[in-house]
Amino acid sequence: MQPHKMTRLAAAPAVLAGAAAMAADKPAVDQDAVDQAFETLKTYDWGTDRDKLNAIDDAVIATKGDAAARKQLETRLAAVLKSDASRSAKDYVCRKLRTIGTAESVPALAALLPDKELSHMSRYALERISAPEAAAAMRDALPKLSGALKVGTIGSLGVRRDADAVAALAGLLGDGDKAVASTAAAALGMIGSPEAGQLLSQSAKKAPEGLKPAVADACLACAEQLLADGKKAEAMGLYQAFGGEDQPRHIRLAVTRGLLKAAGKKD
Amino acid sequence: MWHRDGTRTGSRSPAANRREFLKAAAGAVAVPYVITSAALGAGDRPAASERIVMGGIGIGNMGSGDMGAFLGRGDVQYVAVCDVRKGVREGARGRANQRYGNSDCKAYNDFQELLARDDIDAVHVATPDHWHALIVVAACRTGKDAYCQKPETRTLREGRLMVDAARRYGCVVSGGSQRVLEDYRGVVNQCWGGELGTIKSINVNVGPLPKPCNLAGEPVPDGFDWDRWLGPAPWAPYHPYRCSGSYAINGTSWRSFSDYSGGGMTDWGAHHFGGATFAVDVRELEPEEVVYHNDHGREHLTYRYPNGLLLYHNHPGAGNLQVEGTPGEKREAKPVPTYKGQGGIYGDFIECCKTREKPFRDIELAVHTATVSHLGLIAYELKRSLKWDQAAQEFPGDDEANRLVDRARREPWVL
Repeated sequence: MQPHKMTRLAAAPAVLAGAAAMAADKPAVDQDAVDQAFETLKTYDWGTDRDKLNAIDDAVIATKGDAAARKQLETRLAAVLKSDASRSAKDYVCRKLRTIGTAESVPALAALLPDKELSHMSRYALERISAPEAAAAMRDALPKLSGALKVGTIGSLGVRRDADAVAALAGLLGDGDKAVASTAAAALGMIGSPEAGQLLSQSAKKAPEGLKPAVADACLACAEQLLADGKKAEAMGLYQAFGGEDQPRHIRLAVTRGLLKAAGKKD
Repeated sequence: MWHRDGTRTGSRSPAANRREFLKAAAGAVAVPYVITSAALGAGDRPAASERIVMGGIGIGNMGSGDMGAFLGRGDVQYVAVCDVRKGVREGARGRANQRYGNSDCKAYNDFQELLARDDIDAVHVATPDHWHALIVVAACRTGKDAYCQKPETRTLREGRLMVDAARRYGCVVSGGSQRVLEDYRGVVNQCWGGELGTIKSINVNVGPLPKPCNLAGEPVPDGFDWDRWLGPAPWAPYHPYRCSGSYAINGTSWRSFSDYSGGGMTDWGAHHFGGATFAVDVRELEPEEVVYHNDHGREHLTYRYPNGLLLYHNHPGAGNLQVEGTPGEKREAKPVPTYKGQGGIYGDFIECCKTREKPFRDIELAVHTATVSHLGLIAYELKRSLKWDQAAQEFPGDDEANRLVDRARREPWVL
C-alpha cells in the first residue's frame, strides 16, 4: 500500500492558474497538412488509415476563437458533403460539423436528411448545432420523411426541446405509423412546455392501447419539466389528466409520486 | 412484481400465473403432490413467489459473469436472456435451464420483447456502453429494477435521463462497479476514519482515451444481428475488432472506440474515479471546473469540486488514489457506507429490490462518477479547460462544449 500523502500537490491553485494561461496558447494550423487531409477525404473509405485526417482534427481545435479560419474550415467540410465522397468520408465530416458547424453548413447537412445512409450522421451534426436554422431544417424535412428517418428526426427535435416544432409534432400524434406517433409524444414530453402538456393530455385520453405507455411516459416527462420550470398548476393538471385507473400500477405510482412532489411533499 | 411498499403483485403472464398458483397452493393440503421442494423453497432457497424474477440483457464477458452471480442466488429466479449473438444467447439459456433443471428460461434477440414481459421484476444490463442508457430507461418505463454494468453512460446527457427514469418510476437502479467499495479499502478507511485530516486532493491514474474507428468491413458472422449490435451508434461495417468484448483497449475491442466506449477513461475510470470520489466523499457532487494541462505534450487534468477539493487525473509523479490530507490534523471518523444484504454488489442490488432502498451504487452516484470521466474526455477532445454546472447539466456559456454533452442516436432509437 502506498502512503496516501501528496505534499507535492499542495501548490494546486498555482498549477490551475498556470494551466489556464497555457491553454490559451493555441497551436497554429498546419495548412499543408490540412490540405493533404482534405485530399485524402476524396478517396477516404472504410479501412483507410484514420490518422490521415488528424490534421483536420487539429485544425478544429486550433481555429477556436478565430472566426475567419473556422469559417474557412467549415466551408471546406460542407463542400465534401456535396461531393461524391464516400459514406465514410461524409460520416467523418458530419462529426466535425457537430463541433464547428454553423447556419452556413445547415443546407448541406439538411440535404442528407432523406438519405438512408447518411440521415443519422446529418442529425449527428444538426441536433447539436445551436443555430436555429438547424432545427428549422429538421422541421422542414418532416413532411418529406417517413419511417425510421422520420422517427430519428422527430427525436432530434425533441432532444433540442424545439418549441417551434410543437405544432408539427401535434399533427403526428395520430400518425398511422406507431413509431412516429409514439416518438412525437416522446418529443413533446422532452419539450415540456404548457402547450406540449395540453397536447399530451388530450392524446392520453384517446391513445390506442399500443401507444398508451409511450404517451404516459411523455406525460410524466412533460409534467416533470413543467414542475422544474415552476409551472406547478400545469404539471398537476397534466398528472391528473392521464393518471387514471386504466394505467398500469407503476404508472399510477409515478403519477402519485409526481403529484406529491408538486404538492411539495416527499414521496 | 415487487413494489416500493415491499409488496408484490401478480401478472397476466404464464410464468407469473404459475408463481401465483404455487403461492396459493402452498397453503392447500389437497394437492401436495404437485408442489416440489424447489417451488416451496428449501435451505437458502426462498419459495418461488418470494424470489426476484430476473432477465439478463447482453450476455458477453461481463454479462456472463453477472448472470452467474445472479443464477447462484437462491432468492433469484432467472427466466430470460437477451443477446444479439444467437450462439451466446442460446448458450446462456442452456446455462440457466441446466441450473434449474427445467426449460423455463427464454432467449431473445430484441431486448424490448424481454422487457415487455410483466412477470420479470428486474434485469441486469451488460451490453456495450452505447446501449446502457437506452435499455435501462426502457426497463424503468416498464417498472423493472435494473443492475447496469459500468460505465453506466456513454454521454453526459444519458446520466440525467437514467436518474430521472429511475426516480420517476421508483425503480431500484444500481451501477455496476464492485471495485468502488472493495478495492480501495485502505484509502477509504484512512479518509473516512479521519486519519488524514481535511482532504485536499486525490489523484487518479487511468487511460487510455478512446479513438475513432475506421476499420474495413468483413462479412457478418451467421447469427449475429449486426444492426442491433450497433443500435444507436453510427452505422459502420462489421469488423471483429469493432465489437470484440475483450478487455484490451488497444484497438482490438469495442472498449477502444469512441462510438461505443470512453476507453480506459470510462471503463477503468468507473472504478478508479468511483473509488476516489467515494474515498474523499464527493460522491454526490460533480466537478465545477476541469483544467486542462499540456506540459510539453504530456496531458493531464485538474478537476475542482464546489467544496474546493481537487481531483487530479494522471498528475505527473502521483500514484493512483494518492491522497493529500492535512498533516497533523485528525477529524472525527464517519461510518463507511457499505452494501446491504449478502453477496457483495449483486446481493446489495437484490436486497434493495426487496426493500426498495437505494443500493450502494445507486445510479445517481454512479452517474456522478461517469460525469467525471466524460468531462475529462471532453476537455481532452477540445484540449482546453471547462466549467460545468451540475444543476443545469451544461457548460455555462460554452456552446462548443455543450454540443458534446450528447450525440444524436441512429434511427429508430430515441432517448
